Amino acid sequence: MLVFTRRRHEAIRIGDRIEVRVLRVGRDGVRIGITAPPDVPVHREEIYEEIRQANRAAVAPQVDLSALAERLRLP
Amino acid sequence: MARSSAALPVSDTPLSAEAPPVKALSPDVQEGLARNAITFPDGIPGFEACRRFVLLTSEPMAPLQRIESIEGPPAAFLGIDPRLLLEGYRCKLTETDLRALGADAETTLLWFAIISETDGALTANLRAPIVINPQRMIGRQVLPDDGLYPIRHVLTTKA
Repeated sequence: MLVFTRRRHEAIRIGDRIEVRVLRVGRDGVRIGITAPPDVPVHREEIYEEIRQANRAAVAPQVDLSALAERLRLP
Repeated sequence: MARSSAALPVSDTPLSAEAPPVKALSPDVQEGLARNAITFPDGIPGFEACRRFVLLTSEPMAPLQRIESIEGPPAAFLGIDPRLLLEGYRCKLTETDLRALGADAETTLLWFAIISETDGALTANLRAPIVINPQRMIGRQVLPDDGLYPIRHVLTTKA
C-alpha cells in the first residue's frame, strides 16, 4: 500500500482523472473530497460491503417460487 | 408496457430456484438468452465478474422476477419491483447512475429489489435496487449514500 502524509487542502492524484483531497482534519475523522469521472464508481467502503454481503446472501434462494409468488400476489 | 419488453421468448417456461444452469440449456434457448442479455458494466457487488444477465419473467411467477448471470460465475437473484411493495417508493438516481445506464430523467426504467430469505423471513433490498434501462439493455445496482430505505424490508415472517 502506498502511504502519504497529507495536510489540509493537499491532494493526491490517481491517474489523470482522479483527485483525492483532504478538506478537513478533525479529532475523529477526516473529510475527503473525491473528484472522479462519472464512470468511476465511488462508494463508502462499509456501504459497498454491506450490499455485497446482502447480495451474496440473496443468491440462489432455496424457496418454493410458485408458493412464494402466491403469497406475494398483489390485490 | 415497458416492463415486459425485456421478457424472454422462453417466458412461459415455469421457473424455479432449481432451474437448470444456463449452460445446460439448448442452443436456441442460449441464443435467445444472448439476444436478451442485459449488460452490467460494473457487475454487481459481490459478483463483480458477472457482466451479463438475463431478466426472466413468467406469468405463474408474477409479480416475482428472476435475474440470472449468463457469463462468469453463476448468480441468480429473485426480485420484485420495489414500487409494488412500497407506495411512493422513489430511490434517487445520481447523474452517474443515469449516465451509466445510458438514460435520462425521462427514460422508463425497470426496477428490481433483490429478495432474500434469512431464517425463514423473506426480505427485499429496497436500499440498493437493480435498475435496468430496457432500451439500451444496461443494468446497474444503485448504491445510494443515504439510508432512506432498508436493506431488509420484511415481506413475510415465515417461509
